[in-house]
Amino acid sequence: MTSLKDSSPLTTHVLNTGDGLPAARMALSLHRLDPQLVLWSLITVGTTDSDGRCPGLISREAFTPGLYKMRFETGQYWESLGQTCFHPYVEVVFSITESDQRYHLPLLFSRYSYSTYKGS
Amino acid sequence: MTTRLQHIRDHILAENKCMDMTSPLPSPLTTHVLNTGMGVPGAGMALSLHRLDPVTSAWSLITAGTTNDDGRCPGLITRECFTPGVYKIRFESGQYWEGLGETCFYPYIEIVFNITDAAQKFHVPLLLSRFSYSTYRGS
Repeated sequence: MTSLKDSSPLTTHVLNTGDGLPAARMALSLHRLDPQLVLWSLITVGTTDSDGRCPGLISREAFTPGLYKMRFETGQYWESLGQTCFHPYVEVVFSITESDQRYHLPLLFSRYSYSTYKGS
Repeated sequence: MTTRLQHIRDHILAENKCMDMTSPLPSPLTTHVLNTGMGVPGAGMALSLHRLDPVTSAWSLITAGTTNDDGRCPGLITRECFTPGVYKIRFESGQYWEGLGETCFYPYIEIVFNITDAAQKFHVPLLLSRFSYSTYRGS
């Protein structure tokens, strides 16, 4: 994974807006939809670092056009902080048509809300 | 609403009393879709409510509907059927933007939420543009 650091064409940044902190040590996973089987294939499992980032999500070669899903284990995260959460997990499904671009998918969340956007 | 969704809705209405859009009692669960990209309600968006079966870990469809001109969808679920558990609302965002002649980064949006105290009212809005969305527990 070290050789892929900062070079993944897909990045994320998870921010705990309830506490005003990066969301460190949140488990997340990246999946791609197999168009023929109509099944989700797991590409990467990771945990955010102290800055709420997870480098090395996918290599440029593996990042082909298609439907992807990022799943964030928000319920587990809040549970580890001794809190409940309205959303047991967050799955963001997105469509990649031009895979030679870079995509940044942040997640801003609190115990009762979240937002995401296509960033840079 | 697409023909497929109409068939599903008719089937559910015939066999399931959990969806009742004619009931005078308001649904304990409501949503509101707002198109923040254009500054208008998200009207005519297909959506569906599902409950997770804790034994089989499979999702069961409760309601399929379409938002009205104000981006709302009354009658999502009856008070009797609204029991504690994990629910999800699926919004057909890709279809919605396609209907406006635009693409959308999100082909659909599923918001999964946990209901522990089903005696309360829960409002789960969706604020949506072509490249962003947000949701929160409202009132």
